[in-house]
Amino acid sequence: MENKKFKIIKKKEILKLLESLKKEYSIFVPIEDNGDARFSEFKSGQDIFWDYRNTKISPKEILFPQAETLFCFGPGAEVKAEGSTPGGKDYLIFGIRPCDAQAISLLDKVFGGEDFEDPYYLERRKKTTVISLACSKPQIDCFCTSLKGKPENEEGADIILFDLGEDVLAGAVTKKGEKFIEKQNKWFKDAGQSDVDKKDKLMDLSLNKIKSQIDIQNIKEKLDNAFNDLLWNEIHQKCLGCGICTYFCPTCHCFDITDEINPKAADSKTPEGKRVRCWDSCMYPLFTLHASGHNPRPTYKERMRQRIMHKFNYCPENFKEIFCVGCGRCIRNCPVNLDLREVLVSLMSLGSLCKDKKI
Amino acid sequence: MIEKIKETVKKLFKENKIDIFIGYSEGTLPLRSTPCFITRSEDIEKLVWNSYCSNNLAVYLPRFFVSQRGAKDAKLPRIGILAKGCDGRSIVGLIKEHQIPRENIYIIGIHCGGMINTKKIKKVDIVAAEEKNDKVLVEDEDKKKVELKKEELLADMCKTCQYTAPAVYDILLGKEKQKTKKEDREAFIKEFEKKPLEERWEYFQEQISKCIRCNACRQACPNCYCKECFAEQAKPRWIGPTNDISDVMFYQIGRIFHQAGRCVDCGACVRACPMGVDLRVFTYKLIKDVKEFFEYEAGVSLEEAPPLATFKQDDKQEFITEP
Repeated sequence: MENKKFKIIKKKEILKLLESLKKEYSIFVPIEDNGDARFSEFKSGQDIFWDYRNTKISPKEILFPQAETLFCFGPGAEVKAEGSTPGGKDYLIFGIRPCDAQAISLLDKVFGGEDFEDPYYLERRKKTTVISLACSKPQIDCFCTSLKGKPENEEGADIILFDLGEDVLAGAVTKKGEKFIEKQNKWFKDAGQSDVDKKDKLMDLSLNKIKSQIDIQNIKEKLDNAFNDLLWNEIHQKCLGCGICTYFCPTCHCFDITDEINPKAADSKTPEGKRVRCWDSCMYPLFTLHASGHNPRPTYKERMRQRIMHKFNYCPENFKEIFCVGCGRCIRNCPVNLDLREVLVSLMSLGSLCKDKKI
Repeated sequence: MIEKIKETVKKLFKENKIDIFIGYSEGTLPLRSTPCFITRSEDIEKLVWNSYCSNNLAVYLPRFFVSQRGAKDAKLPRIGILAKGCDGRSIVGLIKEHQIPRENIYIIGIHCGGMINTKKIKKVDIVAAEEKNDKVLVEDEDKKKVELKKEELLADMCKTCQYTAPAVYDILLGKEKQKTKKEDREAFIKEFEKKPLEERWEYFQEQISKCIRCNACRQACPNCYCKECFAEQAKPRWIGPTNDISDVMFYQIGRIFHQAGRCVDCGACVRACPMGVDLRVFTYKLIKDVKEFFEYEAGVSLEEAPPLATFKQDDKQEFITEP
């Protein structure tokens, strides 16, 4: 961060810059939607919701949509893989919060990992430039600093922006970001020391706003022996078994694949079916229901344990990363206030004695 | 009030009348209380009672009896539960539909003055809140305090509550609260009925277009205890799992229709929705129709037979033949 060359741009100019990029990119910006914020494709004359706290739905839906058609099939229908970016344009995700940008870097490990490559995700991802907006609006249920995050975390972003009021400070994070700024150089000026000082002050202020701090050092190791712990009997109790925590989570990535058949398609040119991939949730009983009728995760308890273990034990094992960025969405939106922070704190209280506890 | 609740629960444990108690404890966020399950008497101190106890606790009851169903000599748990008027109506429904045995449920009824809908507070950066009589004092991150009237923050279904306490209970606590007349509760639906078809359709479309199929409305509903929901049935497959508008529409219409003669208008579905989908006009329309056609109201009596489980020669059937 020390030697980063910062550029400065007027907020008003950013709208013009985005406007000029519309031919080249599908641009996603935070806008106000029903009193909340949500990412939406940038339209001419539209303003950006600069002051947003964080979007209700995480921007993972841009790269990993809730439902997407993989291909169509049927007599006369050409089997053609879909899933490219609309119009073949590149993606520009503008103004996502650092926690969500970090989440993208985690999704990259899943969909573009050594073992499996997901062409649908990867095609979009390769074409994507991520411009994040450093967080000056943490909420009371944000806890990114308990994990790897901080208001100016750069992970997952190509460029990071700082909202200084009328001006915006921009710093390239990756080569891709550097090139982007270089190419758009005419919109930017070199930033002065006073701008950088302003930024530092802003970030200090922001960091101080994050009051929620939990200690989850070595949680992976704690959980290694916790599978059969009695604590799980209590943790799940108030869970309703809805999909909010997983659907809103920027790192949850489980999906279901189904065929949608249109039996009435008489016209042979009409594709008679399509294969659809859509978000699934480990909190649903159907998630692990076998064709035989057996379900290895029959109750709320096993399903809740899976969600926590996947994020804090299996993913650290497989990808060397905790799959939680502390964005707080699962806490904010849970209809029964089942707070992940509380769950983690109680799991951290497990001592070595618990190893032998059996159900 | 909370002391009375604690005292009652303590007594129940002491006299060995219950194995578990379901009530509310303090939430982790301002303006939130959270369902809590008590099995040890030392945890009774955690219980709270305030205007944030909006979750319908009846939803948790069926799961205690599911695995034992059909098993001979199974030892069923005895559950104590704190029940507001709406929770109480749901409990009655569950008993009548044979999902929970009456003798295993100890109902602590409570006169409820209504619960707050936090979405009605426009300030988004509340970091603390305190309830004082009929006021709520909220504080933002700059320590600025604002006093709000509780009455103005009440959830829609609470504002016009017809039954502030359960009809069936083992003990009833608190002072009687002011109730709304049926006509006043129905006012919103009568207004909606007057709208032209296009407008009503538009409202429905507008609401369901927000839905992300997270199933929170279904999961929060005490009536939605089906082991397998039509929405997930594979044979036959009624709907797809996507958030495509046709899937969403089918899901929501199916969910609403399955409430005919059963919905108690607790509003749990509306409260649970993270996207602000409000289909209460449609569930309430069913309540109103069932009342008109069959003179039946769900959740207010253990004896009256549910209309879907009975047949009378003079049952109204215009609605079947005349759409």
